[in-house]
Amino acid sequence: MLAVSKSPNKMKIVFDSVDKNFGLITALSNISFTVDQGEFVFIVGHSGAGKSTIIKLLLNQIKPSRGQITVDGTDLSLGTKNEIDLIRRQIGVIFQDYQLIMDKSIEENIALSLDIIKYPRSKISTKIDEVIKLVDLNSRRYLFPAQLSGGELQRAALARALAIEPKIILADEPTGNLDVENSWNLVKLLKNINEKNKTTIIMTTHNQEIVDSLDRRRIEIKDGQIVKDFTPGTTPKAAPVKKNTSSTKNDTH
Amino acid sequence: MTPTKTAWHHIRRSPIQSLTALFLMTFSFILISAFVVVNSGLSQILNYFETKPEITIFIKDGVDQISIDNLKKEITNFPNIKEVKFISKDKALEIYKQQNKDNPMLTEMVTASILPASIEVTVSDPKTLDQIYQNYATKTDIVDEIIYQKDVIESLLDWTNAIRRGGLVITIVIIAISFISIVSIIGMKTTNRKDEIKISRLLGASKFYVKKPFLLEGIFYGLLGSFIGSILVFITLYFSRNSVNSFFQPVNFVSGDLSFFSLIIFIELIFGCLIGLLASWIGVKRYIKF
Repeated sequence: MLAVSKSPNKMKIVFDSVDKNFGLITALSNISFTVDQGEFVFIVGHSGAGKSTIIKLLLNQIKPSRGQITVDGTDLSLGTKNEIDLIRRQIGVIFQDYQLIMDKSIEENIALSLDIIKYPRSKISTKIDEVIKLVDLNSRRYLFPAQLSGGELQRAALARALAIEPKIILADEPTGNLDVENSWNLVKLLKNINEKNKTTIIMTTHNQEIVDSLDRRRIEIKDGQIVKDFTPGTTPKAAPVKKNTSSTKNDTH
Repeated sequence: MTPTKTAWHHIRRSPIQSLTALFLMTFSFILISAFVVVNSGLSQILNYFETKPEITIFIKDGVDQISIDNLKKEITNFPNIKEVKFISKDKALEIYKQQNKDNPMLTEMVTASILPASIEVTVSDPKTLDQIYQNYATKTDIVDEIIYQKDVIESLLDWTNAIRRGGLVITIVIIAISFISIVSIIGMKTTNRKDEIKISRLLGASKFYVKKPFLLEGIFYGLLGSFIGSILVFITLYFSRNSVNSFFQPVNFVSGDLSFFSLIIFIELIFGCLIGLLASWIGVKRYIKF
């Protein structure tokens, strides 16, 4: 059985006054935004601005120091392990450093993600064929990550993310290690998936050219704070004012 | 990729560690199987003496048949009596002649009058022998002498218990070594695969999902090790049982009963499986905390 959302097709993401501190360093401060199902959102900012921290918080790899993050109505800080696992099974992730398992072939890496979401075993092979074809990696499917180029690895990571038919795709600097052509191809692919499947896409990047090429919502982060949250063609929202509330959770190092 | 395939993948990717774990398990089960067989053989020897416990009460010359019959009746009333047999002087001579038929010199010189009549008592519980001895040792008017293998059984029991205790200690130590080794090997493999585990968890795998291949790996070592170890010992013993048994004659030290071997192998397989599972569970638990 595949992972089932509490509200089918509506995986709303809410960040409410989120702070994240690493010891004395403030990585994120008073971050509030909402992403509805089917949105394509860029999170933009320089290196160290806090973009990847947002992705890590969304995956519950780290916990907020203050504030609340909910996905599909579940507070990630309070959700049970089982609830967190179910949410993760509906999120396809493309990491900047690919995070592919090195001693498994590309096909096996994709098969693993399908097995985790309990995709029917008899259909795994067909599904792999489908996504491998979509990212144009057919000739590389039996190779191991060490045998692939950066662009191919990023496509393999994308194939793994797409295979589980996610409600949300988190792409953390997916173009960071790619050449111009591969970067554009990846962005086009994500755009198509968003339009065709209404999959929520949250993509962090510091590549302004890519962001400008699409008229999509962008949340600009600077020094851990949202400085702009707008969709081109609309009036930019004012940055949220920091609430004067005390810390509710312990910092995670 | 199923957990079984992943477990097999882990085994193949670190063959030296896998072989070490398998060798230790096999070695442990060779010792366990050998201990089981020796223990069973010792039980056979002890059983042989315990089920043939006899006491011989030699009757004084001149005691009349009525007194002897009364004595027989009294003995029959003791608990755990299997057989009470009167051996007359003539019967004693017959037995003596039979035992020494190859030595005519010995038989020619002996007549029935110099051999004492006796009552041979067989019991099912050796403790009864003591009771009979205590009861009749003082009745010197009828009883000339009482002989029984108390010392033989006691010394045999001492030896058997010592061997059993020693065997048990050695087996426990070896099992402990194998157990700790599997805990360490699975622990090392878990550490080596921490990135894979981390990635799987981020993809939504439950803790049990990531632990399962390691647990299966432990079960694999336990099952295969116990199978190879027990089969090696039992095949060797099955085909050499005749020579072993001839050494311990008339006791059947090694059983030729295939159902006995099958039962022991089956029990060892379950035991091996449990050891492997428990060891890998502890190994994985120590490292997969997230």
